[in-house]
Amino acid sequence: MMRLGDMIRSHMALIPAMVVIGFFMILPILIILIYSFLAPGDYGGVKPEFSIDAYQRLLFQRDLFDHMVFDPAYLKIAFRSVWVAVVSVVGCLILGFPVAYYIACQPEERRNIYLLLITIPFWTNLLIRTYCWILVLRDTGLINGGLMRLGLIDEPLSLLYTEGAIALGLIYTYVPFMVLPIYAALERLDRRLIEAARDLYSSRWVALRHVVIPLAMPGIVAGSILVFIPALGAFIAPDLLGGGKNLMLGSLVQLQFSSARNWPFGSALAMIIMAMVLISLFFYARSARKNGGGIQH
Amino acid sequence: MTSAIGLNGLQKTYPGSPPVRALRNADLTINDNEFFTLLGPSGCGKTTLLRLMAGFEVPTAGELTLFGDDIAHLPPEKRPINTVFQHYSLFPHMTVLDNVAFGLKRLGKPDGEAKKMAQEMLDLVHLSEFGARKPDQLSGGQQQRVALARALAPHPRVLLLDEPLSALDLKLRQSMRAELKRLQRETGITFVFVTHDQEEALAMSDRIAVMSQGEIQQVGDPATIYEFPENRFVAEFIGDADFFEAEALGGSRYELSNGEILIGPETKTASGAEVTLFFRPEKATLKHAGEGVRGRVSDILYLGNSTDYVVELAQGGALTVRSENHKDGTAIADVGADVVVEIDPAAVRVVTP
Repeated sequence: MMRLGDMIRSHMALIPAMVVIGFFMILPILIILIYSFLAPGDYGGVKPEFSIDAYQRLLFQRDLFDHMVFDPAYLKIAFRSVWVAVVSVVGCLILGFPVAYYIACQPEERRNIYLLLITIPFWTNLLIRTYCWILVLRDTGLINGGLMRLGLIDEPLSLLYTEGAIALGLIYTYVPFMVLPIYAALERLDRRLIEAARDLYSSRWVALRHVVIPLAMPGIVAGSILVFIPALGAFIAPDLLGGGKNLMLGSLVQLQFSSARNWPFGSALAMIIMAMVLISLFFYARSARKNGGGIQH
Repeated sequence: MTSAIGLNGLQKTYPGSPPVRALRNADLTINDNEFFTLLGPSGCGKTTLLRLMAGFEVPTAGELTLFGDDIAHLPPEKRPINTVFQHYSLFPHMTVLDNVAFGLKRLGKPDGEAKKMAQEMLDLVHLSEFGARKPDQLSGGQQQRVALARALAPHPRVLLLDEPLSALDLKLRQSMRAELKRLQRETGITFVFVTHDQEEALAMSDRIAVMSQGEIQQVGDPATIYEFPENRFVAEFIGDADFFEAEALGGSRYELSNGEILIGPETKTASGAEVTLFFRPEKATLKHAGEGVRGRVSDILYLGNSTDYVVELAQGGALTVRSENHKDGTAIADVGADVVVEIDPAAVRVVTP
């Protein structure tokens, strides 16, 4: 039996992180969980009475006669959020994998410079960077203006305030989160395995498919999770580039805590997002265990 | 005899300052169904040559043929040549069976047939029961056999082996030598074996090419390479060698610097020319008196089945004489004893420096 003193000593390094996580993560989550089961206050905040109204609102509306009627509006928003997040993951993967592969193939001293370059977007505020996309995408923006001046189109394409614009903004924001873990996996990959595959009658592409991608799978999965989770709850890109008409879960939550002043509903939505993330992580972990680390194909 | 691999003025230079001339102007013919060894110290160009044959490197100049066809610029996947890599390079995410079936599947064999052929290859390397395991669940020697089975499975025209035994311990290395010989005989595939271990090369090869500084120094069967090395590098690199300087007197007579006369091979070298004579330590006999080169024992190295006597020569320099041990374990001479080294004239060679 380990004495309490020994236990504290051997895990001492974890104490600061445990305190921070306890106070600033677990505690707030518990508060949100409690809020989601309370009634909304009149001017924001909550009233201390138990209610499952917030969760009911996800699927049902009260009609004029106070009957519960099924209303898929919020469900649609949830599906749209998942869809846009999945598109963002795929987009980040398509853009990020070749970049990660390229960096991993560079001489060692040059790799760190490229990795530093990958982080350049983080040096500017996210809000400003997302606003810039408005300048690019809007009807009088860079793309439409350019195409019209070239005479390729007569009237502007509606690029801004679409789901595509949201996905574009999310991909742009989160692609570094995809590049870094894939790079980490590829950097560890033994290049001689690619030679072995080439030697055994594989072209570059076949070697990529049968050797490189399966071995980079832990990085691909980690990157996908790192993109999917924030993309699902994002609200800056949906707000600015979706223009409020394509609501996503993140902006819906933000709305409830600000102008809609329905904190319990916002809390319930936050709990739903968290549950969706946890469930998908659970399924990933289970399939990874079954396949021996998730690198089998 | 059919030529399996032909090199004609093959060169590989890596750019840089100064450029690295890894392979200079190699001419060589490797015969079909031959166990051929590229032997040399690290950096001699043997691995570069192997990589050129495999297709991982493109030659700077010269011809490279496989059964008469020019393959110098074919990518590796288009060459019916497979490689056993030094560190095996097994695919860690596949089972042993999938590793062995990999090349067959890429050649378009249906899944079932590829697996059946792969299983036969595993039988051939005595790993029948290991197909379902992952490579990291095998010992080094077993991984080695999987690498062999994987490279042999597609029945390549030529098998390249890049120091495949260097990571194994001594006993395993010795048993794998016999195993490789057997596989070469049974499959009839041309083996090109790269090693820096001269003992390995002598034991396994039909023919050996000794390489140094990007050049092929000598090509021949093991006995020729050992007994008749063409230059000092080959003589020194293969086995142990004794050298001493002498003056050719014409015919088969050579004069040492202190006036002693030694009978050696007939030479065409002009009388009065300085030559380097060479013999193998086991071809000389240590005597207490008689004809031969005079000297004094300065060191004795007991090797179990034999003993090396280091003899300081009266004319300067030193020789090593290897002598079989007496049954009672006593030494022929003690340190400090004056001795005569009797050298069989038939075993003395003149080498170019």
